[in-house]
Amino acid sequence: MMNVMNLRPSLEIDRALDSRPLISLNSVSRLYDGGAITALQNVDLQIDAGDCMAIVGASGSGKSSLVNMLCGIDHPSSGTVLWEGRPQRTRQDWAKLRRLSIGIVFQEFNLIPTLTALENVELALFGRGLSGSRRQARAAMVLEYVGLQHRLNNLITRLSGGERQRVAIARAIVNAPALLIGDEPTGNLDSTSAANIAALMFRLCEDYGMTLVLVTHDEKLAARCPRQVRIKDGVIVEDTAIPDPLLELQGIA
Amino acid sequence: MNLVGLALRNLRRRPLRTGLSILGITLAVGSALALIALSRSIKDSTQAGLNELGDDLVVMQKGASDIFGGFISEQMVERIAAIRGVMRASGELFMFAPSAGHTSVLTLGWPDTSYLWKNVPLREGRVPQQGERHVAVLGESAAASLGKKLGNELDLLGETFRVIGIANYTSVVNRGLVLVPLADLQEASYRTRQVTMIHVNVDRGGGPAEFSRVRGSIEALGNVTASTANEVLNNDRNFAILEAVSLAVAIIAVAMSALNVLNALVMATQERTREIGIFAAIGWSNARIMMSIVIEGILMCMIGCALGVLLSFLAAFAFPRIPAIGNLISFKPSVGLIAPVVVAAFALCVLGALLPAWRAVRMIPAEALRRM
Repeated sequence: MMNVMNLRPSLEIDRALDSRPLISLNSVSRLYDGGAITALQNVDLQIDAGDCMAIVGASGSGKSSLVNMLCGIDHPSSGTVLWEGRPQRTRQDWAKLRRLSIGIVFQEFNLIPTLTALENVELALFGRGLSGSRRQARAAMVLEYVGLQHRLNNLITRLSGGERQRVAIARAIVNAPALLIGDEPTGNLDSTSAANIAALMFRLCEDYGMTLVLVTHDEKLAARCPRQVRIKDGVIVEDTAIPDPLLELQGIA
Repeated sequence: MNLVGLALRNLRRRPLRTGLSILGITLAVGSALALIALSRSIKDSTQAGLNELGDDLVVMQKGASDIFGGFISEQMVERIAAIRGVMRASGELFMFAPSAGHTSVLTLGWPDTSYLWKNVPLREGRVPQQGERHVAVLGESAAASLGKKLGNELDLLGETFRVIGIANYTSVVNRGLVLVPLADLQEASYRTRQVTMIHVNVDRGGGPAEFSRVRGSIEALGNVTASTANEVLNNDRNFAILEAVSLAVAIIAVAMSALNVLNALVMATQERTREIGIFAAIGWSNARIMMSIVIEGILMCMIGCALGVLLSFLAAFAFPRIPAIGNLISFKPSVGLIAPVVVAAFALCVLGALLPAWRAVRMIPAEALRRM
C-alpha cells in the first residue's frame, strides 16, 4: 500500500511524546438568533490523539454544531476550544489548522463540481509551498490510495456518490492530518458505498493512527468506534469508551 | 492547476455574465480613451495648425479667454514690427463664419500684403493679389465639405467670395480653413481695424536671450501677451473646459467599468458562497480566498482593457473617415494616453473586486457551507 503520510512522517512520534489532548472543548456553548436557539450548552469534551470516536444523536441534537467547533468552521458563543492545549483564537489560526492538521469529510461531499477529482484534491494542497507538479503527484497518489486512480481526470459530476465521497476523503487526508472528521460521511450513500467508505475511514485510523471523529446517526457504524459520545439538545449525555480488547471479544472491531 | 486556472474556470462557468461584464469594461475603457483622445486631438490639431503657419510668437489680447475671444487694434501690428529683432508680423482675424447652406466654417482673414500668404501650400490656384477683394483660398477639407472648386462662389457672413485657390495643408485644422483678405472679413464681421491675434517671426540669430527680450518688448507694449505656438493654447479656456469635461466623462466611464466588475463578482461570490465555504473548510487562508476572487476581476479587466484599447484603435481608424469628424480633428490614441486610462481602469477594477472578496472571507465557513 502506498504511504500517504509522506508529508508528515513523524506524526505518530509527535503524538506519542505529547500527553495533552489533541483537542478539548471547555464549557463550549453555541447560541443562534441572539440566544433564542441553543445548539450547544456548556459542552466539555477531550479527544486524545489516536482516538476513534463516534458522535451520535438525533437530528437537530447538536452533532454538527459540535463537529463545527472541533474543526473551527464555527466559533463558540462562549467557552474555549484548545488544540494540543493551545487556544485557537483567530479564524486564521483555525484555517492553518485545517490546512495542516484537520481533514473534514462532509455528508454533502462539498466538492467543486466544475473541477476534476484530481483538481479537487489538489485544492487542499494550496498554501503548502508545493510546486504544481508535486501537488498533482501527491493528489494522484492519495486518489490511488482511495481506489480512484482510474477517475483522476473525471469531473465530479461524472462520479457516483461513493466515488465522490472517496474524492472527499482523499482531499481530507491529502495533508496527512492528525484529526479526520467525518460529518455523516455515509449519510448520502447506498449501503454498499457506505460500507466501503466506513471501511476506508477506519483503515486510515488503523494504518496511520489518525484520530477519527465520526458524526453519525447510524448506531451500527457508531458501534464500530471504541468511544461513543451521545448528544441530546446540545448537551453531551453519554461518553463511553470501550477498551479495544472488549471490542475484539465482541467481534465488532 | 493554479489560482489563475481556477479563476478562468469560474469565469467560463458563467459565460454570459462574464461576457457582459467584459463588454462593459471594453466599452468603458474604449469610450474613455476615445473621449480623452478626442479632446486632446482637438488641441493637438489646433496646435499643429499654428505650428504649420511657422510662427515664432503669437500675440493675443492679455486675458483673452480663448483664441477666438481677444481683440487687438490693427495698429499694434506696426508697433510690434518696429521692435528690434522682429523680422515680420501679421495680424489675423479668426472666427467661425456662417456659410450659406452649411454650418460655420473656420475663417481666417490676413492682410493682402501679409507674409503668411507666401507660406500657403497651394495645391491649385493662387493667393490674393495686393488690393484684390472678395476672394478666398480654401483648405482641401473645407473645399470638399463645401463642395467648392476654383472659380466657384462662396457665401460667408452674407458676402460672396470667389474661390481662387485650394491649399494643401497637412494639419487637420488648417485643411478645414477658409482664407480671405483681412479687410473683407473685418467689414463683414463689423470688426474694422481689429485682429484676433498677431503672428510674429523673430530673428533667431540672437539666441534664447534675444528671443526673450523680443517677447518682453512685445508684452511691454501693453494689454497683450506673446506666446510660442506651443504655449498659446495652454491658457485657452475653451480647451480647458473641453479637456475637463472629457476627463470627467472618462472617469465616469472607467468607474462604470469598475462597477461592472463589482456587480459581476458580487453576484458570482453570492452564487458561490458554498464554494467559498469549501475553500475555508479545507484551510485556505483569507488572503488566498480573496486572491482567487480578485484574480477573476483582474482577468476580466485585462481582457476588457485589451479589447477597449483595440476598440479605440478601431475608432482612430474609423473616425477620420467620417467627414463631420475627420474634417475637424485627427484622432490618435497613444501609449501616453492608453497607459493612464488602463492603469486607472485596472486599479478601479481591483478595488471593485476587493469588496466581494472581503465580504466572502467575512462569512463563517459553517454558514457558507449551509447555503445552496
